[in-house]
Amino acid sequence: MDVSDELDKGMEPADDLASFEVVDLSNPGLSADVAGHVQQSKEKTKLKTKLVSAWNNVRYGGWSLKSRPRLSKSSPVCLLGQSYQLSYTGERESFRRAFSSLLWMTYRRGFPPLDGSALSSDAGWGCMLRSAQMLLAQGLLLHMMPAGWTWPATHHQTKDDLEVVDAHSLDDSLKDSGKPRRRSLGTTLDCETQEERTHRRLVSRFGDSPSAPFGLHRLVELGRASGKRAGDWYGPAIAAHILQKAVSASELSNLAVYVAQDCTVYIGDVLNLCGTSRMDLSARSGWKSLVLLVPVRLGSDALNPAYTRCVKRLLELRCCMGIIGGKPKHSLFFVGFQDDQLIYLDPHYCQTAVDVKQDNFPLESFHCKSVRKMPFNRMDPSCTVGFYAKSRADFQTLCSDVTKALTSSEEKYPIFTFVEGHNEEDSGCTSDSVAHIKTNKGRPGRIKKKSSMDDFVLL
Amino acid sequence: MPPSEKTQHPKPFKQRKSLATRRHEVAGIRTKFPTKIPVIIERYQREKYLPPLDKTKFLVPQELTMTQFVTIIRNRMTLMPNQAFYLLINNSGIASMSVTMAQLYKDHKDEDGFLYMTYASQEMFGHCVGYKNRSVDGAAAPDDLRGSAHDASEELSVILTESSGRFSWSWRQ
Repeated sequence: MDVSDELDKGMEPADDLASFEVVDLSNPGLSADVAGHVQQSKEKTKLKTKLVSAWNNVRYGGWSLKSRPRLSKSSPVCLLGQSYQLSYTGERESFRRAFSSLLWMTYRRGFPPLDGSALSSDAGWGCMLRSAQMLLAQGLLLHMMPAGWTWPATHHQTKDDLEVVDAHSLDDSLKDSGKPRRRSLGTTLDCETQEERTHRRLVSRFGDSPSAPFGLHRLVELGRASGKRAGDWYGPAIAAHILQKAVSASELSNLAVYVAQDCTVYIGDVLNLCGTSRMDLSARSGWKSLVLLVPVRLGSDALNPAYTRCVKRLLELRCCMGIIGGKPKHSLFFVGFQDDQLIYLDPHYCQTAVDVKQDNFPLESFHCKSVRKMPFNRMDPSCTVGFYAKSRADFQTLCSDVTKALTSSEEKYPIFTFVEGHNEEDSGCTSDSVAHIKTNKGRPGRIKKKSSMDDFVLL
Repeated sequence: MPPSEKTQHPKPFKQRKSLATRRHEVAGIRTKFPTKIPVIIERYQREKYLPPLDKTKFLVPQELTMTQFVTIIRNRMTLMPNQAFYLLINNSGIASMSVTMAQLYKDHKDEDGFLYMTYASQEMFGHCVGYKNRSVDGAAAPDDLRGSAHDASEELSVILTESSGRFSWSWRQ
């Protein structure tokens, strides 16, 4: 047993990061929201609602109380380009801060009905859009917050604070009509720093209201171009295109999203996208920061095991924003791994919608303290990988780093490639046109001869 | 267009013909077209969003890159440019887009002499549709009860109306 183990003895169960569970089991979404925002007349219904949804979270969401993730101290944990050795107290603390500073988007209920439907919750169908929000949120953190930023509220938590966790704390919080056990961490700071204001503004962009540029309402609306409606299921590629549209329609003029088609990133197209094609006064040095999204399919029924290594190498990159995918039918946001386990944030947890237009709205429900993991072999092969490059130089580094990571696969070919030049196919094909049906220009298969060896199509 | 039972779940090519027959077929076609690669393209068994191809066997110029080949198949299906489409070699891995058919054939040809590819889009994610709104809000939202099968038919019908039917497709409902 090493020194740090000695120090920690008695403070927390030796090997796992059970402490991460605390806030979730007591359910900040429920307690804080209820205390702060619920009108009295609705108290009773709300309590019933809470009970029902707590049950649903357990039943459908995979948020079972018994399975606590255990991270090992013997091998490093990788979290979005950073490696942590959990046997060292300091690194364990850094990991905890970094993880709980990630933005967590979950199912919500009680938001204004989505356009064209009566839906006021996305539970059961919106998980891919929530994962997509998390991916974009990670990009925005990299874009707007200083490198290595962590949420100050995670700094104030003492070990004791975290130790409170038990299974029965859930019952408690349900019984006492959600009286918050702790004050809102976001408001304990007397005055918010500039960083905190940015953080809060960033979160508010994902609010569940029609006016939020990256809120569910907006994403559902943008998904119509792909034939999707509220209540439908979404895939990682469609989600990527929705994000692309949402960013280009937003006020973020110095950020651009490129979605790769057919596993190919055309460098010329990226340079065009990020360069100053238009007069843009707000853009520093004439370069837009880039969010690069690559939808892929890493196998047919299940993840081709040959790609495991490659997925790990990608998550180890500083420029990697994470991967949206999941287990079959169950979308997750992958942010790291340890050994043969992926680490993720899970949107399958239904919380009350938060009114982000209020000053000092509670931030707790947008952060997750619970580290979850699953084996690589359960990963659904359909996913979208995200990368971020702030500057043009960063983009060059990104290209070479990612290429290096991609060629580490045991498979002979990389899962996607960077190609110089432009995509001749669909220059002109941008987001908004609804029916981009390709016509038969330059139709191939022109000489479809019927040879004696019938049925062959001759190209 | 009425769904055709035959095209819905065709047996994979390999199961329709014996190894000897397939070998014979390849030998014949290779003598006739020595510079073309015999490729079998089939739809992923559980694919719900992409239409079936009318043909399974293709003779492809060996110097063609995967990019070009994918474009050809995409055009045949008249897919929208941003619709997910992946060709998996031997039903497992993605081929690099810059690789040529000749290279691919060298690395992955089957014992029968064909090169096998499966095409697939992406899976959709979601589950247990409909439980939440009914239990919590008291009123069932009608939109709430639709499953993913519905989306599939909707997307396909878009393609259907726009395709300029040189090839006759069959759609799953």
